[in-house]
Amino acid sequence: MRAETGPGSVRRRTFLAGAVGAAAAGGTGALSGCGADAAEVGAAPESLTQPVAELGPLKSGVNYPPGYVGPRARRQQTIVTEPATFTVVVPQSLVVGDWAKNEFTRWMEQQTGIRIQWRQVAGKGNDAETMTKVNAMMAAGDIPDAFLGITFTRSQLYLYGAQNLFVDLNPYLERYAPNLQQLMKDYPQARKLMVSPDKGIYSFPDLNDCYHCRASNGRALLNTEWLRKVGLAMPTTTDEFREVLTAFKKADLAGGGKTIPFGGYKDAPLDTFFMNSFLYNAGEPWLAVEDGKVRANYVQDEWREGLKYLRGLYADGLLAKDIFTANEDQIKRYGDNPGGPILGGARVYYWGTLMTLDLVDPKARWHEYATMQPLKGPNGVQVAPWDYLKVGLEVSTLVVTRKCKRPDLLTRWADFQLDLEVILRSYAGPDFRWSVKGDKGINGKQALYGMDSWNTDETKGKTWDQYGVMYRSGDFRLSERVDPKKPTFESPLYEQTRDALYPYRQPLEEQFPPVTLEADQAALDAEIGLNLKTEVTGALAKFVTGRLDPNDDGQWNDYKDRINQIGLQPYLEIQQAAYETYQG
Amino acid sequence: MSMATATSSPPGTPAPVRETRSDRIVMICNYTALGLFTLAVLYPLVYVVSASLSDPKNVVSGKVWLWPVGLSVEAFKAIFDYDSIVSGFSNSIVYAVGGALLATALTLLAAYPLSRKGLPGKGLIMALFVFTMMFSGGLIPTYLVVDRLGLLNSRWAIVLPAALAVWNMIITRTFFQSTIPEELVEAAKVDGCTDFGFFWRIVLPLSKPIIAVNMLFYAVAQWNSWFSALIYLTNEHLFPLQLVLRQILIQNQFDPSQVRDTAELIRMKELQEQLKFSLIVIATVPPLLIYPFVQKHFVKGAMVGSLKG
Repeated sequence: MRAETGPGSVRRRTFLAGAVGAAAAGGTGALSGCGADAAEVGAAPESLTQPVAELGPLKSGVNYPPGYVGPRARRQQTIVTEPATFTVVVPQSLVVGDWAKNEFTRWMEQQTGIRIQWRQVAGKGNDAETMTKVNAMMAAGDIPDAFLGITFTRSQLYLYGAQNLFVDLNPYLERYAPNLQQLMKDYPQARKLMVSPDKGIYSFPDLNDCYHCRASNGRALLNTEWLRKVGLAMPTTTDEFREVLTAFKKADLAGGGKTIPFGGYKDAPLDTFFMNSFLYNAGEPWLAVEDGKVRANYVQDEWREGLKYLRGLYADGLLAKDIFTANEDQIKRYGDNPGGPILGGARVYYWGTLMTLDLVDPKARWHEYATMQPLKGPNGVQVAPWDYLKVGLEVSTLVVTRKCKRPDLLTRWADFQLDLEVILRSYAGPDFRWSVKGDKGINGKQALYGMDSWNTDETKGKTWDQYGVMYRSGDFRLSERVDPKKPTFESPLYEQTRDALYPYRQPLEEQFPPVTLEADQAALDAEIGLNLKTEVTGALAKFVTGRLDPNDDGQWNDYKDRINQIGLQPYLEIQQAAYETYQG
Repeated sequence: MSMATATSSPPGTPAPVRETRSDRIVMICNYTALGLFTLAVLYPLVYVVSASLSDPKNVVSGKVWLWPVGLSVEAFKAIFDYDSIVSGFSNSIVYAVGGALLATALTLLAAYPLSRKGLPGKGLIMALFVFTMMFSGGLIPTYLVVDRLGLLNSRWAIVLPAALAVWNMIITRTFFQSTIPEELVEAAKVDGCTDFGFFWRIVLPLSKPIIAVNMLFYAVAQWNSWFSALIYLTNEHLFPLQLVLRQILIQNQFDPSQVRDTAELIRMKELQEQLKFSLIVIATVPPLLIYPFVQKHFVKGAMVGSLKG
């Protein structure tokens, strides 16, 4: 068991008090879990005296692109010679099928010697129901050796970790996780994102550096074919954009007055694109860091300027009438309109939300829509919000509990999965192929591997979908081979993100990081945060559609008063403190 | 339902009286209102069946509105590719049938004694039953009980905790009170019949409607439930159909700003579009099949039980 320091146990008590008050289910769970079983569990002493694990020799025959940063294929040893079995709770998945009969499960068992007794929980692993089930298990002291793919929040990990319910993996990662050590060298931010405020690391993380996802919130598409027809260039400023939409509307290229100059749907907020012409805005919870101080965007004067601009567009009929209410099916119906395109542009995450993608026909409609660069506002602000921190490293992939006698073995088991070949087997299935010299990847450079059967019915029951522990670096993801006969949207998505958005990213320091809150603060944060969200999104729609007038000082001040009454001040104080803890 | 009453009227009724104008107007209004109501109820059902038989592309693009477009049974075929759906279906049948039998038996056994005048402590027992309707132990304590009884992760965890609904028991008790008079018990006793004999030979044969109603209530409740399975089961092979169905439906719900992989998204969307409607059809068929057989008892049993109390 981990030695407990004096301040540590004091902290623990404050946590329990907070937990009882704030999170009833979690709190009671922790209490009975700790009290009843404290004597019989904890890591065996030999866990920390095993020989230090080291990286194996590289396998040959793999063509790494020049300058490649990411996982590599190595010869790895079996972890145990005598059978060792662990109980692991996982989400049920239709792609994985029965975890016990899954092909990758069998392969892992052969390779590592470690047997897993699976317990499958219905749910996605991150929804309220899964957590209800997990909380009930913890409350009853019915705790497995580990959770895989169950998404505890950072604050929950910290809460349970500080109560000694989850194992602090620090000493194990140092000795038994050579691949993860390499990952932390490749991604310097990783460590900061993993540690809790008490410096504990309560989960084995996963890294999925999805390049285009980092820019998802700032993406909007515009019909280039229509631009050509009205004789205008891709807009770069807010004024030019208005001009383009006006031209679309006037030319009525869809015919019969059916033209929608610019559309959107309720799940893709408008503010994450348009407000960035006035101030850096990454979207909910609309926080940013300015000279070390946390700022709420929605009460700034720049936000008001943005509202005025959007109000103008909406009043002139340049935004779709249902832009705040349409759901994904509706926007797709516009996008797929049989007679020809009726949308001039839209605020969507990528083409697939806008229309059915025909990947074979090179003249398919989605090719007409191109990513817009952020628009330069009247004061010269032009930002594409770039998610440096929340996309990439994810905590809570594998959580080892105090029931586990040998956390060292589970750590090695997780680290084993960070190997290039194992990653490919884990999510692409056994049919992946190494690329030959000359194959092109998504980024146009040498490809590393191909996985044609990924995500098809063929791999059902053969992979762990995306539940395994993986190290998918940016280079790894972009070196997936593109079949020249069947190109996907991945290459254009990468290229347009690189050209239209990446150059306009905000500095890293301005992004509000994923913070860890103490239990009582987490409850307060959730409550105020939810009320703020309701008010901000509601008011945004009202200001834009004209039920409130952004030009009216009285109405703007009323709005700010409402925000303050909800509790903006205490909310910002919580965030500021958490931000400072994060920065260390 | 109106058809049923019309045909069941005894033969030899006199020729209908000539309808007056106002009668006819009332009739027309009635039929229109009922017709519209029927349409409102029927349309979603027809739509789901049509959608399940159509090419998923046509469903998404909104071409399907009444009849199937681009007939395809792919969706039904695809269902059988998923082991968990097939096993979920059979599990649901086991839970519904087993649960209904057990629960009905317990309900009858509890309701009958409570319907008789002579039972000592009747008021107290009844009060205890009713108490559980108002207050329950809550999720975690119940989980602890199920855990300590060793039921966790077994079929019993689904069937036993839900084995008696106090509401059904009260309806059943009222039914007994109103249809089996105290005099009948006395008469049987005079003839030397024991309490058990009376219950078995007289009460049960006279209570078919309420038995049918209980069976239906319990079976449907089990068929539709997923929460206790979510909480008590961690073995995929025991999951009921509703839980699997729910799994498919929620796997597609996502927060777009947190999408990690667009390709995965498309895949999930397709899966959901392909399976959603056919699964709903499959999940609705069994209750639809039983209902007509129970319906005639339904009206008799439930209404008598609840109204004459």
